[in-house]
Amino acid sequence: MSSHLLLQAVVLGVLTGGVYSLWSAGLTLIFGVMRVVNIAHAAFLVLSAYLSWFAYTELGIDPLLSLFATVPAFFVVGVLIQRLLLARLRDHVTMMSVLLTTALAITIEGSLGMLWTGSHRGIEISYSTSSFSLAGISFPSDQVIGFVLAALTFFALFMLLRHSRYGKALRATIQNPDAASLLGIKTTTIQGIGFGLGLATAAVGGLILGLIHPFFPATHWAWIARIMAIIVLGGLGSVTGAALAALLMGVIESVVLVTLSPVWAGMIFYLVLAGTLVFRPHGFFGGRLAERF
Amino acid sequence: MLSGSKEAIGRFVKWGTLLLLVCLALAYPWLFPNPYLRFVGVMTVMYMGLATSWNLMAGNTGYVSLGHSAFFGVGAYFTGIMIVRFDMPPFAMVAAAGVFVGLFAIVIGWLALRTRDASFVIVTLALVYIMLLLAQGWRGLTGGSSGLSLPRMEGIGREDAHVPFYFAFLILLAVVLFTTWWIGRSKFGMGLVAIRGDEDKAAALGVNTDLYKLIAFVLSAGFTGIGGGIYVYWFSYIEPFFVFSITIGVNMILMALLGGTRSLFGPALGALLLVPGTQYLIGEYGSTQLHVVLTGLLLGAIVMVLPMGIIPSLRSAAAHLWSASSGASSAATCTESDEVAEGVGR
Repeated sequence: MSSHLLLQAVVLGVLTGGVYSLWSAGLTLIFGVMRVVNIAHAAFLVLSAYLSWFAYTELGIDPLLSLFATVPAFFVVGVLIQRLLLARLRDHVTMMSVLLTTALAITIEGSLGMLWTGSHRGIEISYSTSSFSLAGISFPSDQVIGFVLAALTFFALFMLLRHSRYGKALRATIQNPDAASLLGIKTTTIQGIGFGLGLATAAVGGLILGLIHPFFPATHWAWIARIMAIIVLGGLGSVTGAALAALLMGVIESVVLVTLSPVWAGMIFYLVLAGTLVFRPHGFFGGRLAERF
Repeated sequence: MLSGSKEAIGRFVKWGTLLLLVCLALAYPWLFPNPYLRFVGVMTVMYMGLATSWNLMAGNTGYVSLGHSAFFGVGAYFTGIMIVRFDMPPFAMVAAAGVFVGLFAIVIGWLALRTRDASFVIVTLALVYIMLLLAQGWRGLTGGSSGLSLPRMEGIGREDAHVPFYFAFLILLAVVLFTTWWIGRSKFGMGLVAIRGDEDKAAALGVNTDLYKLIAFVLSAGFTGIGGGIYVYWFSYIEPFFVFSITIGVNMILMALLGGTRSLFGPALGALLLVPGTQYLIGEYGSTQLHVVLTGLLLGAIVMVLPMGIIPSLRSAAAHLWSASSGASSAATCTESDEVAEGVGR
């Protein structure tokens, strides 16, 4: 095992990890703002991948341009799901919301299968299949594009949460919904927008998924299990924690892939998940949910 | 006096219905000797048992496992490997699968039950993928992605091939129902219901919550594993993607929820209603994914509209009717119906 190969693995790991950051940031944001585990998050990623793929192969629209349609659409869908479905659950909200988002995931999966069959698809655009070298390290273009897109989206999300009035209200809602609503924050509106934002990031994340990986309707289950492991490691509800955990897991996965085997690279997510639960059940970044951010 | 005789009639109707259903269940393979209908019958009884097993944990403790297909798959692989690689007697291995999966569930439960609510769901989801990767990666034992083929049962005609498996699943169903009923009447069951209500308070009142949850988890997983064991011998083939898919687990949840998680027969009723319908859809529109879409929509609809499920909803509707018609005694009836809604094993 040469150090060069290891360096190459780390670089690829960081590129992958950046994408995982975006995927898990959206998921953990939704958890934080509503205490809802969105099992359908990866299904929305796959849905967005399909939409971009369809727009490109059938309508000839550049995938990056299709984002101007999918991002607002996903935001609206997110707000609607929160207002029309999740907000109406009364008893056992955590469990019922898990089942409801599972139902969403299955419905999306089945609809994609009905529309476009179960075949593997991939978005292959001229500028994404090449690669370039820098100091002997190879950078595949699709992964670089994915990383840059993810980083930009994550940065935008982070700035919105950190430096806008809305972000302040949202963080207040995450920390203590009752106190926030006493201070005049419309927490139900905020929660709706929070869910919308989470899905808007999934629209971008889904395009990246489609650029880098082959996909088919049922792929979302494997992805959701991975990003769930990441957000537990990062501490449920912590956007920064999720991003750091995602980068870390991206690098670990990539290094294990070249040193051991693909099976172990997949397994490492769950081993880390198990280890986290044994030693640090609340994740490694921040203690109680209220203190994260 | 009057209420006494009413109770006697009620009890007579209840046991009479039960006896009739048992007779129907026993006679089914000969009432419908068509191989396809027998196949659907096996599938239905299998899911009746699986949904009831899932509910042993979820209905009693409120812990929703999204990954019960992992236990189904481990039971199936254990049985398959024992038959193919070690030439063991099949049905003995089916029973052994229950023990093996039970032991497996002790390890998993020790880890998974440190978490609650959302995190528990995440862990159970991850478990399916751990097992999927193991089954794919450990080629020498599991045959990897190409799967494992089992010898068919000998000395039985094609026409009757489904019959022994029908009865195997029927026995499993009976055992799981009896266990659930028995737990519902025991102090152990009361402890589980207390955990569902408020785990911290239950612990403070002296319920050994960790042990109680673990026992319920292990029983639920073990029965599911036996289901997997019977299944693999029935199908004579196993491959990772089918058994370690979320679908089987979600089906159990959907059925249990439809029938009602807070009732003994609810999950079985849910399976009885859903499996024949699903099999019909797969038969007619199998190449499309219509049955997947409908599964998703139905699950969503139940969560939004009928979260209690059929049996508890009917029960509370009946209680309301009863109390409306008998006026003064309404308070007593209501308390009684609330109590009934509490435990699973009734």
